[in-house]
Amino acid sequence: MKITDLKCAIIGQSPVIRITTDEGITGWSQIETPKPYVKPQVLSLKDWIVGQDPRDVERVMRRIRVRGGFKPFGSAVSAIEHALWDIAGKALNTPVYRLLGGKVRDKVRTYRTLYQAEVPGGAPHTPDGYRKWAQYGKSLPGAFHLFKLPTSFHSAMVRDVPNYFYGDVLRDAPYPYPHKGVQTQAGMEHLIACVTAAKEELGAGYNTAVDAGPGYMPLDALRFAKAVEHLHLMWVEDMITGDYSPYVNHDVYREVTRSTTTPIHTGEQIYLRQNYKHLIESHAVHVVGPDPCDVGGLAEIKWVAEHADLHGIAIAPHGTANGIFGLAALVQVCATMPDNLIAFEYPARFEPYWYDITEGFDGMPVKDGMVDVPDRPGLGVNFIAKEAKKYLTEGDADFFD
Amino acid sequence: MKITDVRCALIGKHPIVRIVTDEGLHGLGEVEFTKPYIAPWVLHFRTALIGEDPTDVERCMLKIRQRGSFKPHGAGVSAIEHALWDIAGKAAGVPVYKLLGGKVRDQVRVYNGSIRQKRTGDRPEDYAADVKWMMERPEKFFMVKQGISFHSNMKRNVPDFHYGITQPPDYHGAMDQGQISERGMAHMFDCVAAMKEVLGDKVSLALDCGPGWFLPDAIRFARAVEKYNIMWLEDMLTGDYVPWVNPQAYRELTLSTSTPIHTGEQIYLRHNFKELIETQAVRVVGPDPADIGGIAELKWVAEHAYMHSIMMAPHGTANGLLGLGALINVCATLPANYIAFEYPSASDPWWHDIITGLPEGQIVNNSMVDLLPAPGLGLDIDPKAARPYLREEDAGFFD
Repeated sequence: MKITDLKCAIIGQSPVIRITTDEGITGWSQIETPKPYVKPQVLSLKDWIVGQDPRDVERVMRRIRVRGGFKPFGSAVSAIEHALWDIAGKALNTPVYRLLGGKVRDKVRTYRTLYQAEVPGGAPHTPDGYRKWAQYGKSLPGAFHLFKLPTSFHSAMVRDVPNYFYGDVLRDAPYPYPHKGVQTQAGMEHLIACVTAAKEELGAGYNTAVDAGPGYMPLDALRFAKAVEHLHLMWVEDMITGDYSPYVNHDVYREVTRSTTTPIHTGEQIYLRQNYKHLIESHAVHVVGPDPCDVGGLAEIKWVAEHADLHGIAIAPHGTANGIFGLAALVQVCATMPDNLIAFEYPARFEPYWYDITEGFDGMPVKDGMVDVPDRPGLGVNFIAKEAKKYLTEGDADFFD
Repeated sequence: MKITDVRCALIGKHPIVRIVTDEGLHGLGEVEFTKPYIAPWVLHFRTALIGEDPTDVERCMLKIRQRGSFKPHGAGVSAIEHALWDIAGKAAGVPVYKLLGGKVRDQVRVYNGSIRQKRTGDRPEDYAADVKWMMERPEKFFMVKQGISFHSNMKRNVPDFHYGITQPPDYHGAMDQGQISERGMAHMFDCVAAMKEVLGDKVSLALDCGPGWFLPDAIRFARAVEKYNIMWLEDMLTGDYVPWVNPQAYRELTLSTSTPIHTGEQIYLRHNFKELIETQAVRVVGPDPADIGGIAELKWVAEHAYMHSIMMAPHGTANGLLGLGALINVCATLPANYIAFEYPSASDPWWHDIITGLPEGQIVNNSMVDLLPAPGLGLDIDPKAARPYLREEDAGFFD
């Protein structure tokens, strides 16, 4: 079997990938929603893979892996890997989890990140707002038991709470989390009050994690982590480096992690196992959160999960913007991970029409906070070309041809 | 002053960045000729930069630095930084080295990593003839760099050179890796001996080796060539186009031998040099100002390396003549750990016809380059002379 073409279209704000073969089997995958600008990079990899046998996934990956980097530059390589697995699974008429070592669980736990904008009536970054947030989370279909709350530098809190920190508030930054600096006492107390309110409102039977950075100085990271130890958070995420940081700074993480019982988490922007190596081997965090759409693919995240397990580090894969194809990929790979898997982040940020333009999921698949592992061939989700065509923009009109 | 446009044209093989301002000043930055595909990444920073004051270089960089990564993805950010400094220098009426802390030398040392003839083969006698040719060049380079092993055709042309998988040679950056055979190792020793016999102690020799070695081979080789006083062994473990560093493995290698170990051309930002420098994992770092995130970033890493007694030899072979201007300006300001930068020659001869500001006659004399007197990065493109080389879609580049 040979790859005959690689195409990329933008549907919504999400680049989607189609790899075709000379035997009629098609592989599908998707890149995080806010990255439409990655399309040229996807297409620049086409000449590297056309003519290769897509079922020899690693052989193809060896040709393109060097052209990836930290987020957002790992996404094209990662999504191509997903589509290759999709083809490899379909060619054998088997779900991808069987090609990744086999599933060790029939259901996969997922957690839900709660967004300010989706709470009816809004939820400000105040203790009352966080209570509303918690109530909203509990009311969501799917009965999630584990949530993640954006706070501090990973939210509008830094803009909305006056004198939250000692840096300049940037209102026109071209990327999401531009702030960094020492937090004021009032800012820190406000943050602790908000997290405490959410945790109280959630009550017994629910857990929450906190998304926090990047942008903390380690002194604040430590102060915050210690102050919330009694709340038994599942983790605090990305305080030092994180989303779109083009580096890791594992040594700074290690200083924080070793001084608190609150689990410290990072990793969504990191590309490849090699860049996780020291984070894991020096026990610089307690939880890693690679994103299969950024780390280099499904086989890559599985390898990182096993390396983390070897060191007693938990894994909670990132995936909030990975869309319906990303959801399918997360379920397949998480079914194969070792016992250090906590839960993957549910890709909640796609519009309902995606269920209509694809086949594989009949609506939101979460029940009791879990997703059943499907047995469909490949990744288990395919475009319905006739329906999906309506959402193509002019330049992409021939995507399904 | 405000940025009114950020443009990127493919001139010859180089993406050229041009930042235009409301005060008529413009700045130029050049991307390696090996990366013609980088233009979309440059252009996607337009909205972030338009309206900003280009003379507040760091403030502009804070808006875009997050969107870079290891080679090739640091190139767009870096070329924009060069163009910003070019404008800042012109606006102040001074060469950029004055804005980077001031020059500490009046001439800058360079080494030959780009002026090449096609080598007659991969045998010891071919290598010997090649360095003889380089040694006799009028620039009188103090040091030449030669590719061996995985950084040369040797990996394919010497039978059973290594036990790994050989990838097709059609893509720049594809990495071969494997254990090197005894025969392959012996071949390299013969080549090094042949080159040193020609060069003696008159012209120094550095070897570009990888990436693709495993640690045991690297240690074996570095120890075996100790007697030749090699200037450095470059990129044995990781290097060109490798999206990670592996400083722990480099440290093992460096501590095992007196031959200086060098890496860094693909690394983006000081943060990713941190462990390499602070754990003494190499003896020489070689960041490229067109990949690391810019000339101010390169200067910072040079000073960090200096504090740890690590030498600095910036990479630059493919940076073009505008890239030469950036290298000259930043290297004039580097601390005493500076060895030399890799001299970039023009990728096509006509670049000399369209670039203004270069010294008359030969640029490199006695392995040294004079500083450029003009404000900014000291060089510019003559739009009229360049027009024949513009692609149709780039016709408005100089407007």
